[in-house]
Amino acid sequence: MWTKVLSYIPDWKTFMQAGLVLLIPLIINFGYNKISSLVSNKNNPAKKTTAGDTTAPEEPLSGEYERDLEFLKKTIGTSSDVHFREFQITGLNVRACLVFVDGMQTVDFLNTHVMQVLMREADPQLREQGRALNTPEFTAHLKEKILPLIDITEVTEKLELTQSILKGFTALLLDGMPHALLVGLPNGKTRAIAEPTSEALLRGSRIGFTEVLSENTAMLRMQGKSENLEMKKYVVGSLLKKNLVIAYFKDIVNPELLHEVEDRITKIDIDFIAESGYVEQLIEDNPLSPFQQVQNTERPDRVINALLEGRVAILVEGTPFALIVPVTFSMLLQSPEDYFERWMPGSLLRTLRFFASFLALMAPALYISFISFHPGLIPTELAITIIEARQGVPFPSLIEVLILEISIEILREAGLRLPKPIGPAMGIVGGLIIGEAAVQAGIVSPFLVIVVAVTAISSFSIPMYSAGIALRVLRFVGMLFAATLGMFGTILFFLLICSHISKLKSFGVPYITPFSPFRLQDFKDLFVRAPLTLMKRRPEMMKTGNRRRRS
Amino acid sequence: MFKRSMRRCCLLIAAMALISGCWSSKEIEDLSMYAGLALDVGDPTPLERELERKGATYDKKNQITATIQIVPAHSSSSNQGDSSTKGKVPEFLNTTETGDSLFEIMRTYSTRRERAVIGHHLKTIVVSNRLLQKRGIDSIMDFVLRDNDIRPSCVVFVTEGRALDTFAKNASGTVPAQQLRDFLRNRFRTNRIMEGVNLTRLDALMRTRQSFVLQNVVAAKGELELSGAGVIKGASGKWIGSLSQTDVESISWIRGDGGGGAIKTYDWRGEPIVYEIESMKSKQKAKITGDDISFHVEIKSEGRFIENWDIREDPSKPKYMEKAEQLFEERLNAMLREFMRKIQTQYKVEVAGFGESLRIQSPKTWKKVKDRWDEVFSEVPVTFDIDLHITDFGSSTK
Amino acid sequence: MFLRKDDKITTTQAAIFLTDTVLGAGILTLPRSVLEAAETPDVWLSVLLGGAIILLLMLVMVKLSQRFPGKTVYEYSRSIVGTIPGAFLCLLLILYFIIVGGFEIRVLAEVAMLYLLEGTPIWAILIPFIWTGAYLACGGINSIARVFQIVFPISLFFLILSYAMSIRVFEPNHLRPLLGGGVMPVIQGLKSTILVFTGCEVIMVLIAHMQHPERAVKAVFAGIGIPIMLYLFTIVMVIGGMSVDAVLRSTWPTIDLLRSFEVTGLFFERLEFPFLVIWMMQMFCNFTSFYFSASLGVSQIFRIRFGPVLFALMPVIFISAMIPKRINDVFQLGGAIGYIGIFFFALLPALLSAIYWIRKKGLRQDV
Repeated sequence: MWTKVLSYIPDWKTFMQAGLVLLIPLIINFGYNKISSLVSNKNNPAKKTTAGDTTAPEEPLSGEYERDLEFLKKTIGTSSDVHFREFQITGLNVRACLVFVDGMQTVDFLNTHVMQVLMREADPQLREQGRALNTPEFTAHLKEKILPLIDITEVTEKLELTQSILKGFTALLLDGMPHALLVGLPNGKTRAIAEPTSEALLRGSRIGFTEVLSENTAMLRMQGKSENLEMKKYVVGSLLKKNLVIAYFKDIVNPELLHEVEDRITKIDIDFIAESGYVEQLIEDNPLSPFQQVQNTERPDRVINALLEGRVAILVEGTPFALIVPVTFSMLLQSPEDYFERWMPGSLLRTLRFFASFLALMAPALYISFISFHPGLIPTELAITIIEARQGVPFPSLIEVLILEISIEILREAGLRLPKPIGPAMGIVGGLIIGEAAVQAGIVSPFLVIVVAVTAISSFSIPMYSAGIALRVLRFVGMLFAATLGMFGTILFFLLICSHISKLKSFGVPYITPFSPFRLQDFKDLFVRAPLTLMKRRPEMMKTGNRRRRS
Repeated sequence: MFKRSMRRCCLLIAAMALISGCWSSKEIEDLSMYAGLALDVGDPTPLERELERKGATYDKKNQITATIQIVPAHSSSSNQGDSSTKGKVPEFLNTTETGDSLFEIMRTYSTRRERAVIGHHLKTIVVSNRLLQKRGIDSIMDFVLRDNDIRPSCVVFVTEGRALDTFAKNASGTVPAQQLRDFLRNRFRTNRIMEGVNLTRLDALMRTRQSFVLQNVVAAKGELELSGAGVIKGASGKWIGSLSQTDVESISWIRGDGGGGAIKTYDWRGEPIVYEIESMKSKQKAKITGDDISFHVEIKSEGRFIENWDIREDPSKPKYMEKAEQLFEERLNAMLREFMRKIQTQYKVEVAGFGESLRIQSPKTWKKVKDRWDEVFSEVPVTFDIDLHITDFGSSTK
Repeated sequence: MFLRKDDKITTTQAAIFLTDTVLGAGILTLPRSVLEAAETPDVWLSVLLGGAIILLLMLVMVKLSQRFPGKTVYEYSRSIVGTIPGAFLCLLLILYFIIVGGFEIRVLAEVAMLYLLEGTPIWAILIPFIWTGAYLACGGINSIARVFQIVFPISLFFLILSYAMSIRVFEPNHLRPLLGGGVMPVIQGLKSTILVFTGCEVIMVLIAHMQHPERAVKAVFAGIGIPIMLYLFTIVMVIGGMSVDAVLRSTWPTIDLLRSFEVTGLFFERLEFPFLVIWMMQMFCNFTSFYFSASLGVSQIFRIRFGPVLFALMPVIFISAMIPKRINDVFQLGGAIGYIGIFFFALLPALLSAIYWIRKKGLRQDV
């Protein structure tokens, strides 16, 4: 009896392997924790907030012209682009100075509306008022009767003044007046509104965000009038400050989501936000995931649709890319056109995209596992064709696929960087000629060229560029899995991705809703795009305040 | 939180791939697939004798000769030549080995061909009747049933003569092994082709130890024809004789599973007239009275009057049709009688599915007789009730 | 709450969890094991009958678990029978889960080595699989349920597709005569049909994690009903497609069924490919569920954090999968698991319920 039991005790090799089973994950887990603690956005809770600039010591302007001018010259005057234009106000006989940054002004406007007015022949009323320059009455007089400007602001703080000037305002200092006046609005050169290049549509508005925040928010407002569309402004960046606006519908958005977004934004701690991508990376849930957890878009219509679903948009100054949170996997495969076209073509395109993204992810891995591991699982006729096609190919399938996949990736990258007229030509040269030549030279099999081409085309059909990149990265991982364990490895790879995205959350919303947690209501807008009349409710996953879309 | 990420696993797999390599990875072009397997009584080919004479041999008794048909043929000339000549290159390659164990023979191929053979794409197995006379089908088929590469979907044929002749090159340039399998698709055209017996069915048949038939292949000058069937005696698993093409038709009439075909007979002037089968149905009814078993088979068919050499008759007349029906029924009855005689008195086996009917209709009786069913059946009276119905006379009234 | 941190699953998720736990190696082994017990084509009746019995037993488990809302069997068993016996019973249950988990992946490895990866060492198949399972399990019951929810429709679709395609070899005569051998063989087959439902003990763990424990009965009906239907479908298609005799001579009958025909013209003419793919995904779910239940048990009994337990159980499961020395041992283990399973199906819940009931009565008399 005992000998029988003993005979079933595995040998030391098995125990060694068991040790490895434990050891390797432990090491990896340790390494992962290390990396993730390095990578993750460790913020001391709400240390640096928007209040950051108000906490700086407040220093009022002295009201003495010389001293204030001196101060300005010292703080910002060292820059060559800050201009000081000193002159005398004829009517008052006081010194005045216009301070502005080169290139951010309409010079004509300043000439005709400020300089000309102030240097004109004296106006008796002004002279009378001018006796008490430091009284509010004088300022009021100046505003009401003298300067023909819409926008005049008084600034008393030194810091505020310098910052306003740097933003592009023109400041007017008057000898004896205790505050400065901002007389010219910033008018830096901006780009004209153009069609969003990264998200082109056949049907739909041609408007895209620009680099100017106010224009962008205005574009959102222009989508339709609603008193519920609320925008909140934040200032981010410790060294170079930038405005950031959170937009949402206050009756739709879930307050907890809003709170979470606000919280994360106030925790951003970085010297400069160059692009909304910075914000995206600083507020996302899991920086080590290959999937993006924030959607970026150039299209105002996309943003407004997301807002109506109860999401929150983040707009950053200086970039045409707005961010939408939270995002789910299915959103990355949706395009606004799905809704603009009638529902049947829309549904077809949706389903097609799901299929395409599956191909883009798995096709090379499946190819490898069939060619190198499971010749018995492909149809006989196909197997014969492949064998004949692969005669003389010197590489194993993994290397073969890698050669072609990597050259396609390089081509794609190169085509992106090249000037527009050359790009397509480059694609033709690279794609067609290299592919054909590689087959002729016997480096790769023609069958693989088909597989790689299908993969590449499929990955183009994903409407979100950044989602496409994630799939491209994962495709290589999948290839490695397939090259190690064939179909079994491919299945493991698929399960790993499933496990990963099922754990992933974007601002508290599971990444793969509505597949799971299963929400039948939301399935209407997943593989198919149900007729608009049927989509009566907002997505359940967003737990919105106002549920119904149609009354 | 114990989270791991894709990156982790990516690293891990990369490491694994580097350390251990990919165990099962074998490129498809480095393998040969065999589409056909022909089994003969051990008789080395002249080439083998030559090789053996020069010392290429091992310890064996030459019990069996196995020929595999490799597709596509990996002749190095085929990829050097330009594509226009590709069509003329033979698309398959036969390799013959003699030995005792099928598996050993399979492995011996590796010493003769640079690409190892895999069995995933085996389509047909042809066994010669001489081998089946010597050894039971159980032992011959054991390897192919056990092997994990060979799919049970491959179809088994017998041939009278050398099995490897059926794999010879033919004029059309198609692969005989595939051609044989594709013949089975033509069942909708003629009921002389039996339903292919694949390995799963063979397995079941062998376990029940009932007799059965396997489609017979005849080869001549590189051409193949399916003709008749070989009878395998259940008790011994050995080949005991063959059935003609009409017998195969009879089986399909009794089982009622034919897809199409014809009945040709001669009218009162000796001119051929032909009935095209459009549908056939049969019912085998077992009658048990005490220990006596008898069968009554009801055959119903509808079809078309399709060919008439007798120009003096008008087939569109109902009267003629009725007469013709009678003639066809007589012909069919004669066919069936002849068939029953063959299996009940000549071979003393039951291969037409009567046992199956008995099992379903009277499980208890079946249990009693199943072990000696062949003998019992040879005494069982079988009656037929044939009802052919000509529905139309085609697109010509005359 | 918008940002949910609790480990609750919906009723649908619970049902799918249960389905995925029950539906495992049985798809491949059931036809032969049940036919070996009773050589009659009527065994599909045994499956139905066995399923009904299991359903009844599960209702006992549900009723018991519902008495202790939010508590798993590991937690409440000690309040019923006392700390030490309770812990002992739970350890048995955990051991059982580990053995079943090991058995399932061993079957997976055997099939993978036979049909997909000939020549790959067994550990190379087992280890990545265990790791992937661990990766999923560490996400907690929510992630597990979500993955199950993704995998389940896919596998259901391909399973039904594969079976539907096998209609072409389906022969109704193979299933006749109905009750030709009387009712006795059906009863004999019952024994081995109950075995394929191993794993439904997880309901005693699951209910604690349900958002609406009061709907557990619904989840059980769906979660056991689906496997019963699928097993029924499996056995009908396999016997109909292969006949009783061929099934008895086949090591893995379901795969052989799909290998015995080719669908020319379809992109994959060989249906064992999609079938094996989804079966492996199903096995993954199956394994993860056992692995999770075992780890949760250890962590709750010994009050250790879940993470380290998960790591510690990895080698244990690996070794338990490596113990059978040959395929016969694997099948024998499968049989043995069934018999141990009966204890956990029937005896444990009944025992606990009885003791609970007696104690409650006793308490009332005191008052």
